[in-house]
Amino acid sequence: MSALENLKQMSSEDAMKKIAALNLPDYGVSGNSLMERVALAQTQCEEDGYEPGVAAALNNADVDGVLLEVLRQDPEKVFEGISALAYAFGTEKKLLFLPEDETELAASEEIRGLAEKYQTEVTADFLNVRACKGCAVMHIVTAANLTDALNGEYTPAVYVSVNGGELKKAAYGTRISELADLNGATAIQAGYRYLRPEDADLPVEEAGISNGVLRVLTAKECIVAETEKRLTASRKQSCGKCVFCREGLLQLQYMQKEITEGRGKAEFADLTKEIGEAMAYSTNCTMGEVSSEIALSAVNLFPDVYEAHIKKKKCDICFSAETVYIDPKLCNGCGECMDVCPLDCIEGRPKYIHMIDDMTCDKCGKCIEVCEEQAIVKTSGKVPKLPNRLTKVGRFKKH
Amino acid sequence: MAVITIDGKRLEVPDNKNVLECALDNGIYIPHLCHHKDLSPLGSCRMCVVEVEGQEGVTTSCTLKAKDGMVIRTKTPELERLRMLALELLLTGHPEDCSTCPKYGNCELQTLIQYIGPKTGRLKMRTKGFKAQEENPLLIHDMNRCVLCGRCVRACNELRGVKVLQYQKKDMETYVGTLHNKLLKDADCRFCGACAEVCPTGTIRDKLSSMEVKREDAIVPCRHACPAHTDVPRYIRFVKEGDYDAAAAVVREKVPFPKALGYICSHVCELECKRKEVNEAMSIRNIKRYAADHDTGRYWKGKGKQLPDTGKKVCVVGAGPAGLTAAYYLRKQGHDVTLKEALPTVGGMMAYGIPSYRLPREIIAEEAKVIEDQGVKIEVNTKVEKPAELLKEYDAVLMTIGGHKGVRLPMEGNDLEGVLLNADFLRNASMGKETGMGKRVIVLGGGNVAFDCARTAKRLGAEEIHLACLEAREAMTADDEEIEQAQEEGIHVHPAQTFERITGEGHVTGVDFMNVQSFYFDENRRAVIEKEEGSEHHIDGDTVIFATGQRPDITEEAGLELGRGNCIVVKDMEKDKTTSVDGIFAAGDAIYGTKSVIMAIESGREAAIQIDQYLGGDGDISEKLAPEQHADPYIGRIEGFGYLERKQPQVDSPEEREDNFRLFDHGICDSDICKEAGRCLQCDLRLQISRPRLWGDYAENTSESKEA
Repeated sequence: MSALENLKQMSSEDAMKKIAALNLPDYGVSGNSLMERVALAQTQCEEDGYEPGVAAALNNADVDGVLLEVLRQDPEKVFEGISALAYAFGTEKKLLFLPEDETELAASEEIRGLAEKYQTEVTADFLNVRACKGCAVMHIVTAANLTDALNGEYTPAVYVSVNGGELKKAAYGTRISELADLNGATAIQAGYRYLRPEDADLPVEEAGISNGVLRVLTAKECIVAETEKRLTASRKQSCGKCVFCREGLLQLQYMQKEITEGRGKAEFADLTKEIGEAMAYSTNCTMGEVSSEIALSAVNLFPDVYEAHIKKKKCDICFSAETVYIDPKLCNGCGECMDVCPLDCIEGRPKYIHMIDDMTCDKCGKCIEVCEEQAIVKTSGKVPKLPNRLTKVGRFKKH
Repeated sequence: MAVITIDGKRLEVPDNKNVLECALDNGIYIPHLCHHKDLSPLGSCRMCVVEVEGQEGVTTSCTLKAKDGMVIRTKTPELERLRMLALELLLTGHPEDCSTCPKYGNCELQTLIQYIGPKTGRLKMRTKGFKAQEENPLLIHDMNRCVLCGRCVRACNELRGVKVLQYQKKDMETYVGTLHNKLLKDADCRFCGACAEVCPTGTIRDKLSSMEVKREDAIVPCRHACPAHTDVPRYIRFVKEGDYDAAAAVVREKVPFPKALGYICSHVCELECKRKEVNEAMSIRNIKRYAADHDTGRYWKGKGKQLPDTGKKVCVVGAGPAGLTAAYYLRKQGHDVTLKEALPTVGGMMAYGIPSYRLPREIIAEEAKVIEDQGVKIEVNTKVEKPAELLKEYDAVLMTIGGHKGVRLPMEGNDLEGVLLNADFLRNASMGKETGMGKRVIVLGGGNVAFDCARTAKRLGAEEIHLACLEAREAMTADDEEIEQAQEEGIHVHPAQTFERITGEGHVTGVDFMNVQSFYFDENRRAVIEKEEGSEHHIDGDTVIFATGQRPDITEEAGLELGRGNCIVVKDMEKDKTTSVDGIFAAGDAIYGTKSVIMAIESGREAAIQIDQYLGGDGDISEKLAPEQHADPYIGRIEGFGYLERKQPQVDSPEEREDNFRLFDHGICDSDICKEAGRCLQCDLRLQISRPRLWGDYAENTSESKEA
């Protein structure tokens, strides 16, 4: 007999008592126990008349989605966990949220079959906390853990994917240094924030790896540039309703971008702190609560990196490498360079200023040779302000 | 009940009520932006943050529930810092220059900026680069100004249930719009205007906004346009619910002739109806007609106001719509009212001007009977020559003699045999008397009265009928419906003509015309007419009817000062209807020239108010007849709402109608009436929405306490 069937032999009240006795934490960033999540939903139902329900999802802030592997490996466990809590909570409303871009997974035969079997609504969408009032919202991993725990098979552990590798379960007490090769590490990304290489002895449960991401940064990566990438990913994921999440992330990302491009201002580090700290308690879901941590930990833990970028314009990744760029004042939009680029990394249209995708460009210089306007420049120095979208020739203005 | 303390002020509030509302209701201002009294709390803008004693950090007061013993602070330095930062962030995506914004001076965001004073110049500013969407009817969406407070989304979804507006995301910019950026009409928007009402910025705005009229009047233009201000949306709603008694009672709160108006009202309300911007205006008059036709009088017969007798006597001279209305309300105020009418029956122009194929005479009799039953004494066939003499017997006299004398244009041949005047012609036709009309009739004039003449001539057996007027077709004052139906009946309509001369020796043989090239009024309001050279032409006819205006049938011998157009002079057309003789008042067409039945009714109401006050009453003639209406704001979505066509009345074919005086327009049928009423945008629902509460409304923020 499955754990769920067993549970259903009891009354809902007894089932809830049994779940409470398991003393499970909610996985992810909430820091609550599962029962605290239930209590919150209960209050919302009692005081404001919301319909009770149970929902499972990744944390909204989770842009990597590596923990979804838990569901992929054994989806039924997650559905069972949702149903178990729903039974105990006395509700038929069961929701499973998958990340927005996982429509294929949501539509897969296996998931649809389980949704039918467990009478659970599956959507590939951002979890709107305001629309889910009355629902006991738990992490997908919590749902799986609940099933394990009801079966007596739960052991406290942290799921970790090291440098994008396979997702593994690390028992409490395991140290970061035991999981990852820290040779040449400049920083450790643990969950939503950075740690210093010196912190490698932290046990996993204290490292805040709540989204399963453990990544070692070395001299090949610039901390500021990596921060900027993560902030961009967060901006893409944010629903944009809360001021601090929407505008705060934008400002943070903008400042890191400016810093990597050599236009950082002295006050950016402080401004990053001011906005980042306020964001942590000024939004309605994890998206805003933890997404600034990456920038906050970067400026707090690596002030020298920021100072080098801002004051000395010094960074092996951001500045030393040569850059090939198209001078927006000289480009006439002829398209010659686009034709010769072996990597196809020049964007443009006739009579629009062409742009080189710096991330793809390998600085081969073929475009420089064909440009009759001598508009393409290779430099190891400062790059001027360039258009960030297609702009008509003659229309680009420096701000 | 919970006792909470906000900034040291002890308040007793309901348990769990949101703290922001508790504060605002008790005279404590907490800045807020995404919060709106009628919408669920969102907690996204962070303007309303407060500190709660014993709790760590800050929390939004809009989502905070009052619990007994809670101690709340709203004005600590930390809160002020956070508010400034929140607003600073919010404004990075909002245009910096307020002065070019149409909402300038009415903008909630602007008031917040004044109150909070955020830092500037620190953060990256951006233009969102959305194109202002101006292709929708009634509403402008300019997402560049949007600060994503989400009020419109909640109003559209929670308050209205229409669910058209949603958060959308393009690249990394969140905005509010329809799915796939459909036009509002294609997204089944109901154009209720709730989104524009709650928008705190200049993002969602009314296309039609006017500084000249009051807010309520701009929002519900039909009610404002009606001279008597009948509550159009309210009775349309009753009709939709099938409660025709209640609908008719709503109309009757303002006018004593709901039925007659249902048939012949000039319906200026329809000209202002906002629905016409979406597709076609509401068929307001026909909805009223349906209600009046199906009214059993449940809510008003024998009810309504009747004050005890005052012992004062009033004589009303002329039983047209103005006189009947004034007499009715004066009687209800307790006065002893006598109505003297020169013609054999009451109704005035309704009975002797408007042909019976438009307004059956039974309707006039039926509605006049209500007035008589109220206790108004009616004396017909009684012409009053010397109104001043009436003052010996009456405490006040009201002259509502209408305009029963046609105007003969000064032109060659205007006194030939066969030249008739509109008023005489229509009166004679109405009374079944000989009109003097021949077989080939030329009507001069382009208003509704001209068409009444032409179509009456048709029904009296004229073989060929021409109607000519100075105005171009688009500028003709007659209703389009009237012109089209006349043409269907075989009447030749000739717009843009000058009347050169009426030809004939002794008897009319026709009229010479020239084509008008242009016709306008100069700065002195004088008509300037340019004729087309060599366009002189002649139309044969044996009868010419002047339908070029009417005047009151009165001379100086009556003892009253007369003015322009032979109208009785009153002190102020709207506010003071006293004539040159104390105790004598005047109203209706007699003071302002030929207008409409509804104008006459309103003029009669105003006269009644003034005379009642003159006689010592309070002048309050208002009545509450219809039952309370619960106007459900949750209107829901209706597929294809914007495309629902105006329901047409059932009209007899030209062959069936052109040779008799039977009613030919049967109004909207039973199966269509509910659908027609369902097309209403219910603009008045918007008035239910709470108005914003700004810091300036709070005593603590007025100048003296600010200085302190």
